[in-house]
Amino acid sequence: MNLVEKSVAHGGILAPLVVPSAFGAMNPSVYVDDDGDILVNIRVVNYTLVHAENKQLFPSRFGPLTYLHPEADQRLVTENYLCRLDGDLKMTDSAKVEMLNLHEPIWEFVGLEDARVVQWNGDYYLIGVRRDTTTNGVGRMEYSLVDIDKANWSVRELSRTRIPAPNADDSYCEKNWMPVVDTPYRFVKWSMPTELVYANPDGGSEQLFVRQTPTPPADQRGGSQVIRWGNLYIAILHEVNLFKNYLEQKDAIYRHRLIMWDQQFNFAGLSDAFSFLDARVEFAVGAAKVGDDLIVSFGFQDNAAFILRVPKLVVEDLIMEGLRYGAK
Amino acid sequence: MELSELVVGLSQDPFNPDLNFQVAVEYERLNQTASAVSFYLRCAEYGDGLLVYNSLLKMAKCFENQTGREYSVTNCILQAIAYDDSRPEAYLLLSQFHEKAGNWQESYTFASIGLGWQWNSDELPASVGYPGGYALKFQMAVAAWWIGRKDESVDTLQELSEMELDPMYANAVKFNLERVHALL
Repeated sequence: MNLVEKSVAHGGILAPLVVPSAFGAMNPSVYVDDDGDILVNIRVVNYTLVHAENKQLFPSRFGPLTYLHPEADQRLVTENYLCRLDGDLKMTDSAKVEMLNLHEPIWEFVGLEDARVVQWNGDYYLIGVRRDTTTNGVGRMEYSLVDIDKANWSVRELSRTRIPAPNADDSYCEKNWMPVVDTPYRFVKWSMPTELVYANPDGGSEQLFVRQTPTPPADQRGGSQVIRWGNLYIAILHEVNLFKNYLEQKDAIYRHRLIMWDQQFNFAGLSDAFSFLDARVEFAVGAAKVGDDLIVSFGFQDNAAFILRVPKLVVEDLIMEGLRYGAK
Repeated sequence: MELSELVVGLSQDPFNPDLNFQVAVEYERLNQTASAVSFYLRCAEYGDGLLVYNSLLKMAKCFENQTGREYSVTNCILQAIAYDDSRPEAYLLLSQFHEKAGNWQESYTFASIGLGWQWNSDELPASVGYPGGYALKFQMAVAAWWIGRKDESVDTLQELSEMELDPMYANAVKFNLERVHALL
C-alpha cells in the first residue's frame, strides 16, 4: 500500500521539503512544539544514494545501491537543518544547526544522524545516533540540547550527552531509539518485543522493562517518535530486507508499519507493511498529531525529504488493521 | 508547475516515467541535484525511449555539478551511449569530460563519433547543453591542437568563426583562434 496515494485521495497533503542551498536533504523529523509550531529537523548529507530499481539496468559502477560520496572523500557527512512549517506544510524558516565543536571526527560516518526532535520540560532536543567518536564506528544515541531563536530563526547546540546502552553497554551500534514524546527521557529502544529505556540527559540509562509481543513478520526497527493517539501509543516502524545480487553487491528494500501499544506499553497491534511513494528505500523518523490528523515526515531514497498529512480516517484504518493483527 | 504540485501528481502514479522526469527537472532547477538524481534514475528504470537517454545524461550533469564524482559522470554517459549509440549528445558530454581531464585523443575521438550522428538530434525533452553539431566540431578543433593536428585545429576554428553560433561558443572560438594565432 502506498500511504501517500491513499492519504492524498482522502484529502491529505504531501509537501516536498527543500532546504535552499543545502545538498542532499533526507530523513526529516517533524515535531509540534509547545507554541504549536511545526518544526522539522532535516538531515543534510554530502552523498547521493544511487539506487537502481525495476530491472536495475542502470546501476552505479559499484552496484545497484551505492552511496556516492565525493571520490576523494570517503566520509559520509551529516549536518542538520531545523525548519519551521506553516499549516499548509510549507517551509517558512530554515537554519543550519550550529553544532558544538567537541572533537575531531575519527570515523567515516560524521555527524548526528537521523535526529528526532522533541521538547521535554521546555528544552528542545535533537536525538540521533553519532558514530564518529571511535575509530571503529561505535554508535550511540546522543542528546543534543539546542536553543532555537525563533525571532531570528537560528539554532545552536548548547550541550551534548552520549547515552550508554543500558546494562552492559557493550553493543556496537545503538540507533533509532524512539522518544516517547509525552514522557520525558523515555525511549522505545526495541519495539517487538517492546523494550523501554530511561536515558538521563545528564548521562546514564536504565532498562525499565521488556514486554513480550507476537513474533513479527520481520525485525521491526525504530522510526518515528512515539506519540499518543487516543488511548493508544503509536509509532511508525521500518523493516528492511537486506540482500545481495548474484555479483554479491548489496541491495535493500525498506517498508514501514504502524505499531500500537496500550498506555502501559503492552503490544496492541501492528499494521500491514506500506510504502510512502513506492520507492525501495524510504525512511520515516518523524510523526506528530496536528488537529485530528497525523503528520509523518519521511526520506525518499536518502535524497529527498517529504512531509505528509495523513487524514484521521486513514490512520484509523491502519489502526484497525493493526488491532486485528494484535488480536490473532 | 511547482514542485509541490508535481509530487502530488507523482503520488498518484509513482512509477510514471514522465512524472518522475518532471519532478527531477524541477529539483535540478532548484539545484537539488541529489534529489534530481533519484527521480531521473527512476525515470530511466521505469521508462523507455528518449526519456531514458535524456535521464541518464541529466544524471551525468548532476554528478558533474556535484564535483568529485568523475566515475559516476562517465558511468551515466556510457550507459546513455549503450542505450542509444546513434545520437550525438552523449558523445559531446564524453568529449567534454575528457577535454577537462586532458585526455585529448579520447576527447577528439568521441567528438568525431558524435559528429557522425549529428543528423539525429531531435530536441531532447530537457537540455543537456548540446547546441548542435558545431559543438562537436569545436571539441575536435580544441583536441586536434593537442594531438599534433595543428592545421586541422586552426582550419576548423576558422570554419567555426564564420558560422552562426551560440554566444558562448562564438566567444570560445574567438578566444582560441586568438591564442593559436599568437602561438604561430
